Amino acid sequence: MSTILTYIAITDGKIKRSSLEVLSHCKKIGDAAGHTVEAVLIDANASSFVEGIQKYGASKIHVVEDPVFTNHMNTPLLKALAKVMEKVNPAVFAFASTESTKDILGALAANQDAAVIADVSSFELSPNGVKAKRPVMAAKIMANAEAISDRVIVSVRSGSYDLNESPASAEVISVDFSMDENEVKATLKEIISATGDTVDLNEAEAIVAAGRGIKDDEGKALVAELASILNAGIGASRALTESGVYDPSLQIGQTGKVVSPQLYIAVGISGAIQHVAGMTNSKVIVAINKDPDAPIFEVADYGIVGDLYKILPPFIEEIKKIKS
Amino acid sequence: MKFYVCIKMVPDVYAPIQIKEGELIMDGDRMVLNAYDASAVEEALVVKEKHGGEVEVVCIGPAKASETIRKALAMGADKATHILADSEKEYDSASYSKVLAAFFSDKEYDVLSLGKQSQDTDSGLTGSMVAERLGLPYATNAVGLEAGNGSLIVKRQGDTGQEMIELPFPCAVTCSNDMNDPRIPNLKGIMASKRKPIDQIDISSLGINEAELVAKTTVIGYEEKPARQAGKKYEGEPEEVAREVAQLLDTEANAL
Ligand SMILES: Cc1cc2nc3c(=O)[nH]c(=O)nc-3n(C[C@H](O)[C@H](O)[C@H](O)COP(=O)(O)OP(=O)(O)OC[C@H]3O[C@@H](n4cnc5c(N)ncnc54)[C@H](O)[C@@H]3O)c2cc1C
Ligand SMILES: Nc1ncnc2c1ncn2[C@@H]1O[C@H](COP(=O)(O)O)[C@@H](O)[C@H]1O
Repeated sequence: MSTILTYIAITDGKIKRSSLEVLSHCKKIGDAAGHTVEAVLIDANASSFVEGIQKYGASKIHVVEDPVFTNHMNTPLLKALAKVMEKVNPAVFAFASTESTKDILGALAANQDAAVIADVSSFELSPNGVKAKRPVMAAKIMANAEAISDRVIVSVRSGSYDLNESPASAEVISVDFSMDENEVKATLKEIISATGDTVDLNEAEAIVAAGRGIKDDEGKALVAELASILNAGIGASRALTESGVYDPSLQIGQTGKVVSPQLYIAVGISGAIQHVAGMTNSKVIVAINKDPDAPIFEVADYGIVGDLYKILPPFIEEIKKIKS
Repeated sequence: MKFYVCIKMVPDVYAPIQIKEGELIMDGDRMVLNAYDASAVEEALVVKEKHGGEVEVVCIGPAKASETIRKALAMGADKATHILADSEKEYDSASYSKVLAAFFSDKEYDVLSLGKQSQDTDSGLTGSMVAERLGLPYATNAVGLEAGNGSLIVKRQGDTGQEMIELPFPCAVTCSNDMNDPRIPNLKGIMASKRKPIDQIDISSLGINEAELVAKTTVIGYEEKPARQAGKKYEGEPEEVAREVAQLLDTEANAL
């Protein structure tokens, strides 16, 4: 019997839903194979999140609590993960794929001499390690990959699995941790945050994404109004994050975030492969574009051909009516 | 300042792809400099233009990768090392990171710069692996670099915002293409690149045990992504089509 360990990510003082998706999946494959499933929480206030993960069926929750984890920094996170990994010696260590995870995944694998497979859209245990599917070539095709090792680190795209509660009352184990300043190596000087109350795009149920077709404040206001009535997150193409029209954290695509909402409305976005790479897993895609040949229409369930400045006002009005 | 930039030759993601019995068939001629590495080269050149120093590129790849190296030299890199790799062997990020770490173990530099990911595989692992193997402070997903006094200030795109991180030299950084727009080599650059030195070495000369390089992750096969059906296009009077689609989102797609 071996152990599957999952990392529970905390961002902005909240448990990242995608890490609970990963835990849910690990619990399922762990139960099927007779493996135990454990979780690790690392945060300045780690113990306050224990409650929130109890109901997902981990048998142990390792808690690393230290003020050094107030903000993301790779050296302390790496040290804590390596410590827990050595202690638990898991056959599989699974993460939700986030920028913080991507920052340390390779280093952790090198440090622990484990195999690593990043950004998968599904994975299963195999006799040799882990088998996984991952999108490649700007998400145009899927690769069936295998990580062969008795210790495999895997990271999973958000939205790949459903949440699944399975009651267990986990044993909570607090892990000794300390780090002196010299060990940290890098200095975090400043954090330039996106406006605090924005919806986490990875977890948004609906997203309104703006592209270069949005030319001015009037366009931005229309996008904001549509997002607001749909309770949606606002995303953007690289054309608009690059030019500073939207915050860089809102970029969706190969370089930006990978999202999988129930509803994705692309407004004035052409549908370049690198953008599409980040949004094709959305359930329903709506595209508004004045060019009938724009590639975005190839992935859209509903394509509205026309000038967004003329389309959005009646579209917003109609949705308001439906909602009320 | 001395920059080493690790560059990789990758298939052009715009090239048409076919899958036959699980094998990926691509136009072998359409190999390009990884877009993220082009940004890493560009930024190193910008820092060099401001503070002086040297930009050297390092590429592990088959003989054909010399074209990719020439591209970086044509952009303005000073010189290159080409670590020749057998194209028959399957390597993963871990394998490449071991070769790079072995190569850099006896080199002197201020900044080791890599792309944040390969544009074909999107792995994003090599950078932090190399940093860990060499014991370097590092930052990933950089969208801006600024050379300080004995340190590099990195603006990093994190999950919810940007982090300014100071790394003492020597350090490693992985670059996003959001950092800049890489220059397109001009004729003068292309001509000059032909005279720039490319040092060719063999992986075996780095003293790594072959068994160490065997990839722990392998691709068993490729398959089509379940394609999305292109839906219906609605054209006509803006007012009408807008209302129609809004209605359908409610009644047909159940998405509101
Ligand atoms: C390595 C790499 C990584 C990349 N990563 C990303 C990424 O993560 N995310 C990303 O988005 N891009 C990414 N890109 C860039 C990508 O290739 C495109 O350049 C970008 O997505 C284009 O953004 P856009 O669709 O907003 O702009 P454009 O391509 O300029 O399209 C604008 C669209 O708006 C339409 N339009 C204009 N006016 C109106 C109007 N009034 N009403 C309706 N429609 C209108 C036009 O018909 C056009 O189709 C990457 C590129 C590279 C090389
Ligand atoms: N064969 C290689 N030669 C030189 N650099 C490489 C090679 N493979 C990976 N890298 C570097 O590692 C980055 C990507 O890592 P990864 O996404 O793990 O493949 C690239 O952007 C390069 O900077």
